[in-house]
Amino acid sequence: MKQNEGKIGIRDYMAIILLTLGSKVSDDTPTLLYKTAKNSAWISMLGIALLSLIPILFLLKVFSVHRNKNLHEINLHLFGKVMGNLISMGVLLLGFSSFVLDTSVYVDIIGSMYFTRTPTLALYILMLVVCGYGAKRGIESIGSAAWLTLFYLKATLFLALIFAFTKGNLKFIFPLWGPGTLEIAKTTGSKLSIFADFYFLGIIAPLVSSFKEFRKGTLWAFAIVVVEITAALIIFVILFDFTSIEVISYPFHETILYLSIGFLSNVESMFLPFWLVAAFIRFSFYLYLVVTLFGGIFKIKEFEYLVPVFIVIVLFLGIMPKNLTYTLPYLREMILGILSPLFFILPILMWGMAKLRGDFKREAEQSH
Amino acid sequence: MFKVLKKLAGKKRNKRPVGSEDTLASQASTKDQSISYQIEDNIKQVKKIFHYPDNKDIKLRECKIGASEKRVAIFFISTITDVRTIEDSAIGPILKNKHPDATIKEMIATQNITHLSTMRDVVQNMNTGNAVIFIEGETSAYAFECANFQGRSVEKAENEVVIKGPKEAFTEKVVVNLSLIRKRIKNEDLMAETVTISTRSKNEVFILYIRNLANEKLVDNIKNRLKNLDVDAIQNLSLLEQYIEERPFSMFPSVLYSERPDRATSFLEDGHIILLMDNSPDSLILPATFWSFFHTSDDHYLRFIFGNFARFIRAGAMFITIFISAIFIAVTTYHSEMIPADLLLAIAGSREKVPFPVFFEILLMEIAFELIREAGLRVPNPMGPTIGIVGALILGQAAVEANIISPIVIIVVALSGLTSFTISDVSLNFALRIIRFIFIFSAGLFGIFGMTSFFVMGIFYLTSLKSFGVPFLAPMSPHYVASGDTIFRRVLKNENLRPGYLKPKDMKKKSDEAVK
Repeated sequence: MKQNEGKIGIRDYMAIILLTLGSKVSDDTPTLLYKTAKNSAWISMLGIALLSLIPILFLLKVFSVHRNKNLHEINLHLFGKVMGNLISMGVLLLGFSSFVLDTSVYVDIIGSMYFTRTPTLALYILMLVVCGYGAKRGIESIGSAAWLTLFYLKATLFLALIFAFTKGNLKFIFPLWGPGTLEIAKTTGSKLSIFADFYFLGIIAPLVSSFKEFRKGTLWAFAIVVVEITAALIIFVILFDFTSIEVISYPFHETILYLSIGFLSNVESMFLPFWLVAAFIRFSFYLYLVVTLFGGIFKIKEFEYLVPVFIVIVLFLGIMPKNLTYTLPYLREMILGILSPLFFILPILMWGMAKLRGDFKREAEQSH
Repeated sequence: MFKVLKKLAGKKRNKRPVGSEDTLASQASTKDQSISYQIEDNIKQVKKIFHYPDNKDIKLRECKIGASEKRVAIFFISTITDVRTIEDSAIGPILKNKHPDATIKEMIATQNITHLSTMRDVVQNMNTGNAVIFIEGETSAYAFECANFQGRSVEKAENEVVIKGPKEAFTEKVVVNLSLIRKRIKNEDLMAETVTISTRSKNEVFILYIRNLANEKLVDNIKNRLKNLDVDAIQNLSLLEQYIEERPFSMFPSVLYSERPDRATSFLEDGHIILLMDNSPDSLILPATFWSFFHTSDDHYLRFIFGNFARFIRAGAMFITIFISAIFIAVTTYHSEMIPADLLLAIAGSREKVPFPVFFEILLMEIAFELIREAGLRVPNPMGPTIGIVGALILGQAAVEANIISPIVIIVVALSGLTSFTISDVSLNFALRIIRFIFIFSAGLFGIFGMTSFFVMGIFYLTSLKSFGVPFLAPMSPHYVASGDTIFRRVLKNENLRPGYLKPKDMKKKSDEAVK
């Protein structure tokens, strides 16, 4: 049979990408883009997509010759033991920090938009417990859960965007180039790391049932996500116009607050559960990635047992920053700023090393 | 670290030795004897083993063969044998025998005669309802089949009712159940193997599968699991189910339990394995997926659209029964802005005089409903409907008038109780009812956030469950090649594949010509 133990199929893999990257429209990522690119954030998004394609293709090329290795093992293979471990550790550190930041952003959203009277700590604990449980269940479980819920999550998102579109004013996307091409280019360069998740996806590359499916799934999911985020960026702008969108922290949630469907005048709590499901699956996956990478670097075979430890660390780090609304975007931007060049350069570097070591030639000889 | 903790915990719980006498071993030792040349010895031995004549239904008939005048002794247990057969086919012919050289096989007119050489075989044959004959001067005994266990005749299925399609249900006699299945599958590859699963009561289980369909590894796995049971007695399949399931503490069942032979047969034809047992008016179907608990046989007997309509209603009912009470709590306490203003005022108005929070109200009524349900099940038959009326109508009405609960809560709880009856499978039904309470608690604690958290954890749990190696939500996720019979079913003609997760030997159910 096609289904192997411990591996996920293309459906589950694509569902994971669509949920993890797709739900970026609903956190503060759009705000970061609007801040500098104003109403032409969607153009900068397309730029980011085009530019991201380069490292993604290089990564796929590298993975095509190392089909049974994950990101860390490839790093070790290409850069040697010392450098490989150092790079993986850097990646782990960045991944872990963005995990901490992302979760505290989400808890901030839940706390400030929906549960204003519930203590943040309680929300944070519950959220991390759920994600920890998911991460401990393993990649198969996360993939299945993503695939099972994907349709409903995307359908509600689509519904929300359609309703928002009908309320918006299409003229708000003009002037097309917004603050000017230079600003757009700058945004493109500094926010490239929105797609850095694709680099982290390398950690589960050998867990996808075949490389062919990995490549196909990655590229298709990439295309869908780009369309989704771009559409969402346009819709937010035509709904709020660029002056107000800059000061809105979480445009998606403002959008659903703004909507009314038929006799229901407040529908945001109807979209909340769907958005939460996506968030839970997304963070379960991130946590799984972080723990797997950690287990790989420090050679811990039963890395599932690390999950509770990680939860506690994340919890303490996550509740540390005071005044979340102001510190978080700043820290987020910092991480994105560091990740962007790395995301662009590392895959190319990896490809270069593989070329130097002659990995591609060997592969070609083997296939003959 | 966890392993250490587990070890520590495990050591504390070390079993205390139970002082006991191994009566089973002494019982076995008396049987370990060969059959003697002396008929007197044999008779004495059997009498001793069965405690004749204290054991009232153990019968012994001694006589002499008509022509040769050899002594003969016939032992049987009268309550589980057909005495008429023994009289007509054994005792009669023996007494009337005219040829001095005739062997016992030539005298007795039953369908088969088995040759027994040890006391163990003698005892086993008598216990299964056969009669045993000892003959003077022979070191072996003979057994012939005349078992007649009493039981119910084939009746209508009571728990899995269908509108269209066959009505008969399994009975407590495994022979009848097997015949009900053989009536539906006239194929020599339908195997019915037996395994003895208990050491004292010698309960037998029939393992049914179609040899050139079912996956061999699966069959071996189940056979091994049955053979490795070391228990004194397992009376029936409901008990056996708990011995062989993988997660006894899990909320979700991993073995399907059906009383309908047509349902069992359709699973057999897909490559599943069926277990049958005496004393069980049902069958165990393994491996089972979530969908098999959700489906009924009606779904396929009804036409495509009607069957799917029923499925749609059932899926909706399942959603309502789990969530409606929890949603009501969450919305009224945490997200009241969701409710249109008029309705909100109506709810608030009706709750004006009620002193309790919504959470407590709902919990009170849900528990009351469960009480009525459990009581209604246990009361003697003639009183059943009365209890239902008293419980549901009067209690509800009075509670509202006494301002203990608001009328809208009655609607919500009645809806959640009513819809729970659409799931006919007992195990899943229980699971859903318990899950409903967990959702009520999570909604009371964290509103929609709590409900979603628990829901996602549930999804993670369901996706990681396995029943005999088959993922619980297959073939939906992880995806397998199959006929796509999950929430909805396809047109019957297009359901042409066996479920891939069973790894059947033949995937195709119908040839291409049949499909076109």
